[in-house]
Amino acid sequence: MDGYLGSYATLGILLLVAGAFFAVAYTANRLLRTNAPSAAKSTTYECGLDPAGGDWAQAQIRYYVYAFLYALFAVESVFLFPWATVFDALGMITVAEMGVFVAVLALGLLYAWRKGVLSWTTA
Amino acid sequence: MSLDMFGHDPWWLILIKILVVFVFLIVSTILVIWFERRVVGRMQHRPGPNRHGPFGLLQSVADALKLALKEDIMPTLADKAVYFIAPIISAMCAITAWAVIPFGPEVSIFGHKTALQITDLPVAVLVVLACSGLGVYGIVLGGWASGSTYPLLGALRSAAQVISYEVALGLSIVAVFMLSGTMSTSGIVASQAENPAVNIFGLEFNVPGWYAILLFPSFVIFVISMVGETNRAPFDLPEAESELVGGFHTEYSSLKFAMFFLAEYINMFTVSAMCTTLFLGGWRAPWPISIWGAANTGFWPLLWFMGKLVLLMFFFVWLRGTMPRLRYDQFMRLGWKVLIPLNLVWILVVAGIRVSSEQEAGTAKTLIIGGVILLAVGVIFFYPRRKQYQAPAVADLGVGGFPVPPLDLKVPPSPRTKKIAASREATGVSASTTTEEEG
Amino acid sequence: MNPALTGVLADGGVTTGEAVTFWILAPIALAGAIGMVLLRNAVHSALSLVLTMLSLGVFYVLQAGPFIGMVQIIVYTGAIMMLFLFVIMLVGRNTRDSLIEVLRGQRVAAILLGIGFAMLLGTGLARGIGSIPAVGLAEANVNGNVEGIAKLLFTRYIFAFEVTSALLITAAVGAMILAHVEKKPGEKMDQKVLSRARFEKGNYPGPKAGPGVFATSDSVATPALLPDGTFTERSVSKVVPARELTIAEARPKAVNGSKEYGAIK
Repeated sequence: MDGYLGSYATLGILLLVAGAFFAVAYTANRLLRTNAPSAAKSTTYECGLDPAGGDWAQAQIRYYVYAFLYALFAVESVFLFPWATVFDALGMITVAEMGVFVAVLALGLLYAWRKGVLSWTTA
Repeated sequence: MSLDMFGHDPWWLILIKILVVFVFLIVSTILVIWFERRVVGRMQHRPGPNRHGPFGLLQSVADALKLALKEDIMPTLADKAVYFIAPIISAMCAITAWAVIPFGPEVSIFGHKTALQITDLPVAVLVVLACSGLGVYGIVLGGWASGSTYPLLGALRSAAQVISYEVALGLSIVAVFMLSGTMSTSGIVASQAENPAVNIFGLEFNVPGWYAILLFPSFVIFVISMVGETNRAPFDLPEAESELVGGFHTEYSSLKFAMFFLAEYINMFTVSAMCTTLFLGGWRAPWPISIWGAANTGFWPLLWFMGKLVLLMFFFVWLRGTMPRLRYDQFMRLGWKVLIPLNLVWILVVAGIRVSSEQEAGTAKTLIIGGVILLAVGVIFFYPRRKQYQAPAVADLGVGGFPVPPLDLKVPPSPRTKKIAASREATGVSASTTTEEEG
Repeated sequence: MNPALTGVLADGGVTTGEAVTFWILAPIALAGAIGMVLLRNAVHSALSLVLTMLSLGVFYVLQAGPFIGMVQIIVYTGAIMMLFLFVIMLVGRNTRDSLIEVLRGQRVAAILLGIGFAMLLGTGLARGIGSIPAVGLAEANVNGNVEGIAKLLFTRYIFAFEVTSALLITAAVGAMILAHVEKKPGEKMDQKVLSRARFEKGNYPGPKAGPGVFATSDSVATPALLPDGTFTERSVSKVVPARELTIAEARPKAVNGSKEYGAIK
């Protein structure tokens, strides 16, 4: 457990221990729990009514828009993280560079905002 | 305290630390459920659980045992493999994040010098972010695999909420990286030990090193988004019972449900611990105690760390006891249109101030940059965003004569009123009373 | 991975832990990639890809690039795959690939091209790094991996970095505008318009009969029975598909434990 990989190996051990924990918990649960399956119990939960229709419902397209925004901002923050650790050493020019980067993104976002894409209810 | 001291522990020490963290997480989940019920009970003028054990302390133990021994139901329409794996993903991601949380400084355990922290990495904070990012899979997959529409809709809602607030959370950490210059959790705690000298208007004085004070806007954004991230009240829309039955875990029962439950509470501890580490000085003693020299050595810091954690948990419970649930569109608007733009601007402000203050004539420059940016923020946020409501000039009389009463309806006085009023004036009954009775 | 490359890694001083991790995760990554292509269910397919991405993230960490490893996990496994999953869920669960090929010979062409590309990549990698020992890793990471990457990114590769932002926002805004239906000012149905429409002649403004009222079953799919004995279709929500109830469904339900219990469905 030494050197560069030591710290990561510890993380790996934690994952293994967690895996073992789940294995033990699920086995114990399987052995100890009551089990009386019936067809009615395993129908979809509808507060006692017969379920009607399939297992899928139409959802708003906005969820997709927000997932896309998430991807966009995940990439942006991934650039911001390393920048935050070095901007001090590299000076004003790096701050300006990041300003341009953020501004370009903000411009696009502002356009979407003005178009009303960001509002949940259609206005 | 540096990163070099991690990754050298013998295997038995690592196992001990991991087991201790596991036990800590499970015991504190049980305790916090009790704590939450008692505190919310107190806020609502009722006793809360008080039957089992002293102060009802054993109530949660009983509940947990009962829950784990319940029958496990596998819905017919469920996707078996994914249904099984989803709660594991949730709980696994929640637990993994604790690998990098610093509980205390270097101590000696059985003759080994080691830090009270499972491990630390140069990218430790990113590990926590990655864990919360992957934890969303538990929600989405659990909802999808249940084979029912309510969990599916609940999962989509929940996932959209978590990812939205994760962006705000991630961006609010950037400012911390900027001041600390590192992404390792122990490094961030260490950097909050200093009392940096700040030069404002030519006056030089030392400020406390906590980033909650130095980076107050980041702190506020972090706290708001950590509540959103953990699906807690007032942002508990995914489990809005009145709309979605129970959200993504409607179909779950027994241990699988318990895993989601565990994950939710551990996530609360995780964000609280991250808040403590990033903004509240981590395990370092708060000011009046820190005067005592030994406060930050040995096992004492565990106490300060736990104290801060309990305070934050109380904050969560307090919010739950106080705030009504937000509407989904308002909630998303807060995240995307307020927190994130504010965050981006704030990051650039901090960068500008930080860089210019290191150069000569920093103060003037700082003021100029700050002013310009504040102006920009003002323009962005207070630019007319919606049309003012204008009352219609003519009262709307409805469609096709169907009686739709207009909002500004004034009931014309009945012609009979005058007559009756006149006849009753002698007896002293006012006209208005009569009108009311007749209307 | 070809033997030449593993040879290189061995020369560069691969620790046992690294080798063990690699040989455990490499088959998993490959299995994930193959599963992504072969699995019929779209969500399972996406999940296999997640597995591959996660393994790749760990590989980056193994190769002394912890930052890029975490980025792989946050951006690809976290954000991009989440976007995939959202799309799959919006489209629906049982939309499986049709087995009928629209383009003739598409499958053969795809396999051939895939093999060709793999060979090209493999030989390129083998020639490129087959005989070069790994140097300069410690040098590049001397001030920390994150700082090293950041210094290069914000000095030498600044142009690429700035262009990335333009690329990102173009893609994002494009996708958002496509998903967004812009309404003209007059199109919005505000409360007043809706109220007018409700009381328009020919529309019945009263509340609809609740499903299950006077009905033979509790199901929301069963239309309500009017006092004159006819069904009213108004009572059934339009999203619930019309269906005939079986005799078993229409029969009053037995309580849990009684003999007829299994009769339902």
